[in-house]
This record gives sequence, C-alpha cells and structure tokens, in this order.
Amino acid sequence: MTVASQRRSGGYLERPAPSGLADVVEVILDKGLVIDAYVRVSLVGIELLTIDARIVIASVDTYLRFAEATNRLDLYEKGGKDLTEAIGDLQESGAAKKVGGAVKGAKKALTGGDDDEGRRPAKKSSRSRRREEA
Amino acid sequence: MSGAVLVADEIDTSTTGVYVYGIVEAGDARVPPGLAGLDDVPVRLVAHGDVAAAVSPVALERPPGRRAEVMAHSRVLEALAETGPVVPVQFGSILGDVDTVTHELLGPEGERWAGLLEALRDRTQLNLRVTYHEDVVLAEVVAEDADVARLRERTRGVPEDVAHGDRVRLGQLVSQVLERKRAQDADMVLGLVLPHVVSYDLRDRGDVDHLLDVALLVDDARRAELEDALEGLAEAMHERARFQLMGPVPPYDFVDGDWWA
Repeated sequence: MTVASQRRSGGYLERPAPSGLADVVEVILDKGLVIDAYVRVSLVGIELLTIDARIVIASVDTYLRFAEATNRLDLYEKGGKDLTEAIGDLQESGAAKKVGGAVKGAKKALTGGDDDEGRRPAKKSSRSRRREEA
Repeated sequence: MSGAVLVADEIDTSTTGVYVYGIVEAGDARVPPGLAGLDDVPVRLVAHGDVAAAVSPVALERPPGRRAEVMAHSRVLEALAETGPVVPVQFGSILGDVDTVTHELLGPEGERWAGLLEALRDRTQLNLRVTYHEDVVLAEVVAEDADVARLRERTRGVPEDVAHGDRVRLGQLVSQVLERKRAQDADMVLGLVLPHVVSYDLRDRGDVDHLLDVALLVDDARRAELEDALEGLAEAMHERARFQLMGPVPPYDFVDGDWWA
C-alpha cells in the first residue's frame, strides 16, 4: 500500500508493504461497510468476487496436513541447519499444498491467480457482521 | 463528466450504476484531483448534509470481476484515507442511481456516518500477523503431548494408505494441542498490544503456523508507542514466532459494531 516497507535496523518487527493482488484481497475481502442487499444492484461479475474465498478448513485433509507437517519434523537431526534454513525448507516443500488446493483454486478464480503463489488464504472471521439499517 | 460532484441526470441508469467506495465528510475537497476508480473513471462525490459518498459511474454490463477492480477499489480508498477519515464500503457495492445513494445510504444514517467519521479521525488501521515458526511449535507439540509423540512414531515412514486412521488421529491431536497453545500465546500478545490501541478485530486463519491475526485501530499519535511495544514482543518471541505489521490501511475492519458509539 502506500507506506514503503521499513524495517528498523536490527529490528524483529517486520513491516512488509502489501503489494500483490493476494495481499490486497486479504485486506479488503469481506471487510467494509455492508450496504443492504435490497438497495444494491447485483452484478454477476462483481458478485463473484465477493464469494467467500476463505473456506473454513476443518476436514480430514486438514488433519492429514497437520500430521504430515509433524511427521516431517526431524527432531533429532536439527543441528545441521540453522533455524531460518529449516523453515525455508519446510515452506518450499509445500506443506500447505494439500489443504491449500481448494482454497487456492477459489482465490485463483477470484483474482486471476497470477500472484498468489505461496500465499495461504485466511479463514473467514467468525465474527458476525451487523447489517446496517438503511 | 466533470466536477467533483456527481448529479443524477448525468448517468443513464439503464446501463450504468453507481459504484460506492466509501463515505467521507462533505464540504471540503476530499477527492484528490485525478483520482480514478473502476474503469479509470474519475471518482466523484454524492453529498447529503455533512457526509458524502465517494462514487464513480460503472457499466452494469461487464465481464466477470477482474483484478483491476479489486486494485481500483483499494487504490481509491487509500487515496481517500490520506486526505481524512473514510468509512470504507464493502468491495463490489453498486447502487442503482444517485438518488438511491442519497436517500438510502446517506440520508437515513447521516448522523451515524458523521459520528463514525469523527471517531476515525486521526486514527489508522494496522494489521498485525503473528505466525509460529512451524517446525519450532510442532516440536513443542510433540514434546508436550505423549499421545502425539506416540502416534508420530507409529506413522512416520509408513505408507499413507496403511496408517490412514492413525494419521488422521495424529492430525486431530496436533490441531487440538496447537489450538491450546495458540489461545495462550494469542492472549499473551493481545494483553500487551491492546493497551496501545483504540479497538481491534480478530481475524481467523486455519493454518498450522497461525498464532494471531488482528486488525488494530490506533491513534496516529500513539503509533510509535505501539510499534515499540511490538518490537519488544517480537524480539522476546523471535525464536518461536514472526511478527509482521502491515499498513496503515483504510479502516476496513472498523466500520460496524459499536466500538466507537
């Protein structure tokens, strides 16, 4: 967005600048003031974009992913790599793929799909949204 | 198509709708010159009393949603947020005509929008994401839960289809232990962050590494103080978690509810 990425030297708090479509979708999707449907014009093209792409993940696939991630841990041979490398490996090996597939597909349809590689989508907030009385 | 204000007879309502980006204060020059919205059409105001909707005419016949529309929505709201308080409207909100904007959106709730805009003045939204270093937290889970450790030993190196039931059970257990750790860690982080913010909105994610995703509404004058607190936390927890602070972004998460009333 408008603020450039800044990281204080030696700081641990990262200040990434959302830039890609996936970042923007994550910030805006399902957020903002909801105008009552009865005064809105429904457009197929636009409505598609508001479909909830944040599929709630609670399935056997999810559990298998958790199991896979746990099994991949090499608890006894960790000395050879520093933490950053180990984490990089884990991410590169695509631990998210199993569960990410369906959601990524939805997001891909939604965003045109060219810059959401490597991102994992957010589950929709369970907070109920109050409808605005018009 | 010129001027800062959109008037009713300018658009043909059979082919054109009114795309609404957000609500701002009326009266001053809130729309930066040259600000373009969807389809590169200039953004204009529909004013009513003290408040105005930032809108642009949009063709009703259009191809399925494209990335350009998402980016335009985001860009317009960021530009509006730079000139003063704005109430972002949900992406994809199109009203039939200017009168509907005036009489359905602005008119009946004018005081509410004016109050909300006042509450958002000199405040910004920042999005905090805290993620576990996945292998670190999973190692904690294995170390802390004997059942997880046992099932892990039993399923490691076994073909997927053979140990399917055990693997599902392992995943369930890991998920449960993670939920517990997450609740504790998130409470701790929130406890240290919330004294520095006006309001917050939790966002959920289903990822293994998820610790906390929260939108924070912060007084501009207290941003440095919040960032100092987060820096301290990020340093204290850096072996287990990664702290990312994004924004400022327009206050997408703080337009409903009653945090400001």
